[in-house]
Amino acid sequence: MRENVVEIKNLHYSYEEQAVLDGIDLTVKQGEFLGIVGPNGSGKSTLVKCILGLLKPQAGEVLLFGQPVRTLGERSRIGYVSQKSNSFNSGFPATVREVVASGLYGSLGLFRRMKKQDWEKVEEVIDQVGLSAFRDQNIGKLSGGQQQRAFIARALVSDPRLLVLDEPTVGIDAKSTAQFYDLLAVLHREEGLTLLMVTHDLSVLSSHVDRVACLNKRLTFHGRPDEFERKQTEILSATYGHEIQLVSHGH
Amino acid sequence: MIEMLFQFEWMRNALLAGVMIGLISPLVGVYLVVRRMSLIADALSHVTLSGVAAGLLLQKDFAWAGWLNPIYLGMVFSVIGSVFVEQLRRLYRTFQEIAIPIILSGGVGLGVVLISAANGFNVDIAGYLFGSILAVGRQELLLMAVVSGIVLLFLLIFYKELFALSFDEEHAFLTGIPRRLLNFLFIVVVALVIAASIRVVGILLVSALMTIPVAASLQFTNSFRQTCIWSVIFAQIAVLCGLFAAYYLNWASGGTIVLVSIVIFLLILLIKKSLFLFRRRKIG
Ligand SMILES: Nc1ncnc2c1ncn2[C@@H]1O[C@H](COP(=O)(O)OP(=O)(O)OP(=O)(O)O)[C@@H](O)[C@H]1O
Ligand SMILES: [Mg+2]
Repeated sequence: MRENVVEIKNLHYSYEEQAVLDGIDLTVKQGEFLGIVGPNGSGKSTLVKCILGLLKPQAGEVLLFGQPVRTLGERSRIGYVSQKSNSFNSGFPATVREVVASGLYGSLGLFRRMKKQDWEKVEEVIDQVGLSAFRDQNIGKLSGGQQQRAFIARALVSDPRLLVLDEPTVGIDAKSTAQFYDLLAVLHREEGLTLLMVTHDLSVLSSHVDRVACLNKRLTFHGRPDEFERKQTEILSATYGHEIQLVSHGH
Repeated sequence: MIEMLFQFEWMRNALLAGVMIGLISPLVGVYLVVRRMSLIADALSHVTLSGVAAGLLLQKDFAWAGWLNPIYLGMVFSVIGSVFVEQLRRLYRTFQEIAIPIILSGGVGLGVVLISAANGFNVDIAGYLFGSILAVGRQELLLMAVVSGIVLLFLLIFYKELFALSFDEEHAFLTGIPRRLLNFLFIVVVALVIAASIRVVGILLVSALMTIPVAASLQFTNSFRQTCIWSVIFAQIAVLCGLFAAYYLNWASGGTIVLVSIVIFLLILLIKKSLFLFRRRKIG
């Protein structure tokens, strides 16, 4: 039996009065690649933040690696690229190398300095995301897609066992998106990384993920991609509403 | 000619004070600027004013308070003010600058009331408002040295955590950096720096040494480390040139230091602009 990396039980979340998540049960096993889809405002980012412990749900439970997220000690096991990563202060004086290294600072702990092998790891992930030529470039002077890769590198640098990505390919061109999915595939297949990705790109579901979750306040579907393909029309109308006619991507 | 100056103790004290403040102000200032909190320094300096006023009032009315340098009370007020700032910032996450007018006007209000309660002071309060570095005594020098030591140690130990928090607070928190504790310690350190530097540039100009050198370095630096280094270099130039200019021209020292740092800032802008034009012409 593979370990449950994420375990969500009967999760409820509401901002003030508005209920956003209503009774979510979801499990992500070790080594699984889960894609989460749903319309704008359906609670995807909220769910992600609950999983990471950034928001405290009103009811229900989130376990990461079998532990309640709020008491999870080893934060370095989680990598996160948020939906609004790119909205940082673009005048901030920091190089790609400095930003990527900051992903290690939490796990290094107080009173410890970066060692040689830590810097080597930083260089390694910068190469991995294809930013080698930009390591000493100011982060604000990169293109949106390059910035996004820097944030992915920051998430990867601490060798996480779970990588959470909230719409990571928004604003990235087709070629870079393809490269990005290839990178995820390598991390997923070769390094066995558990991945959780929110996306609006339905075409990626069939080709890359192991599990699909459709969200609209509740889970409207959770299962394998081929199942999703087969019942796509019903699932999509249940998730996105009947009026919206979605252009189906892919095959 | 310059060696001659070092014969005077007051000049030596002034130089030492200037060098110390010219080191810690811009270093703390870098974080304030990149976190968009530069005006908070101004708010806290005005709170320090009310503390200084309270200290002067005590000195006037009670003989036993004679030994108590008003700067100490100013420092206490500033630290208390900084705790309020942090609370307000947490309360209004999305528009944190709301803390500035509240704290600033509160500080000035209290200061003015205290000054009026004392029917004005015999002591020259202008020395606190505009700085009087040439009158820095042994005791104040010692205070600055202690504060500088604490500040440098803090910045050195928490360099990486403070960087991560400034760049992306949510992500830093997620990776396990103690956000609340460090934010709290940082704002207290800012309060200490402000109280310690009041003698050098004065309450009204305290934020200048924290922000103008940083603004100048931000024009051309890429990395955070470079920004820290250049900010200190510019601040040191401003303090030293400002002091000598103030001495020879008989100008107010605080004002002169601030003016020199603004000149540096403008020079950097000019150089950057002309380099840009020069390059464009070469291409065009
Ligand atoms: N900070 C907040 N305060 C109050 N309500 C919020 C807040 N953030 C989100 N909401 C509400 O919660 C609902 C879900 O938001 P969420 O960001 O989780 O959606 P999403 O599925 O990520 O959407 P998108 O595809 O646009 O990213 C929305 O209706 C939104 O109005
Ligand atoms: Mg979202």
